[in-house]
Amino acid sequence: MLRIKDLCVSIGEKEILRGINLEIKPGETHAIMGPNGSGKSTLASVLAGRETFTVTGGSATFMGKDLFAMTPEERARLGFFLGFQYPVEIPGLTIVNFMKAAINEQRKYKNLPALSSGEFLKMMREKMAVVEMDPSFVGRGVNVGFSGGEKKRNEIFQMAMLEPMLAILDETDSGLDVDALRVVAQGVNKLKTKENAFVVITHYQRLLNYIIPDIVHVLYKGQIIKTAGKNLALEVENKGYDHFINKK
Amino acid sequence: MKEYIYMPEVRRVFRCTVPDENIRQVFLVDGVLQEEETEKNGIILKRGPEEKGLYMRVQGDHFGETIQIISVRSEDLPGPLEFTNKWELEPGAGIQIIVCDHTLNEHLYQTSRFSKIILGEDACLDILFMQNENIRSHYRLDLIANLDKGSQLDCHVLSFYGGIINNKLHAVMNHPEAVCRMDGLFLADGEQDIKYDISVDHNAPECYSRQLFKGILDNHSRGSFNGAIKVAPGAQKTEAYQANHNLLLTNDAKITTKPQLEIYADDVKCSHGASIGRMDEMGLFYLRSRGISLAEAKMLQQMAFVEDVLAGIRTESIRERLEKMVESRLRGEFKKCSNCTMHCC
Repeated sequence: MLRIKDLCVSIGEKEILRGINLEIKPGETHAIMGPNGSGKSTLASVLAGRETFTVTGGSATFMGKDLFAMTPEERARLGFFLGFQYPVEIPGLTIVNFMKAAINEQRKYKNLPALSSGEFLKMMREKMAVVEMDPSFVGRGVNVGFSGGEKKRNEIFQMAMLEPMLAILDETDSGLDVDALRVVAQGVNKLKTKENAFVVITHYQRLLNYIIPDIVHVLYKGQIIKTAGKNLALEVENKGYDHFINKK
Repeated sequence: MKEYIYMPEVRRVFRCTVPDENIRQVFLVDGVLQEEETEKNGIILKRGPEEKGLYMRVQGDHFGETIQIISVRSEDLPGPLEFTNKWELEPGAGIQIIVCDHTLNEHLYQTSRFSKIILGEDACLDILFMQNENIRSHYRLDLIANLDKGSQLDCHVLSFYGGIINNKLHAVMNHPEAVCRMDGLFLADGEQDIKYDISVDHNAPECYSRQLFKGILDNHSRGSFNGAIKVAPGAQKTEAYQANHNLLLTNDAKITTKPQLEIYADDVKCSHGASIGRMDEMGLFYLRSRGISLAEAKMLQQMAFVEDVLAGIRTESIRERLEKMVESRLRGEFKKCSNCTMHCC
């Protein structure tokens, strides 16, 4: 589904990712862990198409297509989703109008007719229930005045609406209390199928108690220094990143 | 069916679809009212002095009723035109008015519209100016409003199209407990030049005023905003707020903004602010990451930017209609409308 080869990424003169290799197959859940500044969020952003970063080497294919040849919206329509670490506030744009625009563009891309208002609202209600989101949120400005937990719920809600093939969740657990974490994680688990895949980027092992990864990667200074099964997360939690960094 | 005295063809070329059934349409062609003097249910409507402009006097509460004044320039050889419209609301009277200013073709029309609003005690006027002329026209609105005790003015000015648009709005509150809200929106592109001069005089205690003006400027367009609130000595417990926010879509568009406050009383709540900015890159990326195209993301961001100005328009059907107009204006679709010559949709 996603194949990344020798990916090198810079911002200005500064090299952030230095040769990433990663393959994600349908049905898999990956976790990417690593200390601050290791390049986790950069990897997520560059895959989603953020233009502040420059790809200086390597390649990535998604659903058989050259990822970096596509605009952010083309990637999204093909089934790529990024759950933002810091979801953006857009005062004046309601969640309902935002999602209506997104869903209709996606349907247009798939040559499907636009949803009727009734069908759309029904879909909204169903998907909001997945993340236990209060229905009164639909009329509010996107992320405006939302708590940290509400913003993250809103990300998972959008993911539920768009039903992506591959979702990268960038530190979705940061800033969440235990209850919000559980709701968000359950949301992810409900959406998991044999066809789609998830990448969970996190600092801590805690989220991985709820979302069980198949494969865990440790990212350090722009490189994946270790890849193993789900027990790697526990090892990181017990021994710290230093253990792996020193071993390297 | 109404017959128009001077211009039977107006009805043929003008097919406004303002959707509300309670709207009474009044035509003003080249500054001349197209109907005889009428007095109906406490609303007197007649021509102004020297047969030019319009005089309207309202008695009683006409809540839910709207009068749409469609003011068009149509001459083939236009010279400068000046006329005065006067609205007078008796104590306790209330009504909603929409003024739509248009030109029937692309000539260089110069029009100065002086407007006087006189609100009696506890009167309540909701007035909206919709300015949609042509790219060569010179438009001037010079409005002065006098608010009596406890009266309320809600004024919206929406500048859609015009070569040069000059709006001068002046509200005077000489009596306590008056409420004056003036909001505006200006959308400029090409070489358009739009100016707003707002002044609000608080000469009596316990009055409230608020202005919210927003501009979106594209291409080489120019804009300017001058706002002045004066709070006179003795106008205690005044609340006065002013804000002007602008979005520049290109490096060549320009706006100057100058919000000012002069306060000579010591027990007041006042604030003013202005901002000039560009599109939010992170916001655009967020929208695009959900599959929304760049053009559509920009559109959503612009609509979001003006949302709070439009939200202040209380009649839902009119607000929805104007939202559509703003959207079609921002999409640059005005010129493609074949419905009628006014290019409102």
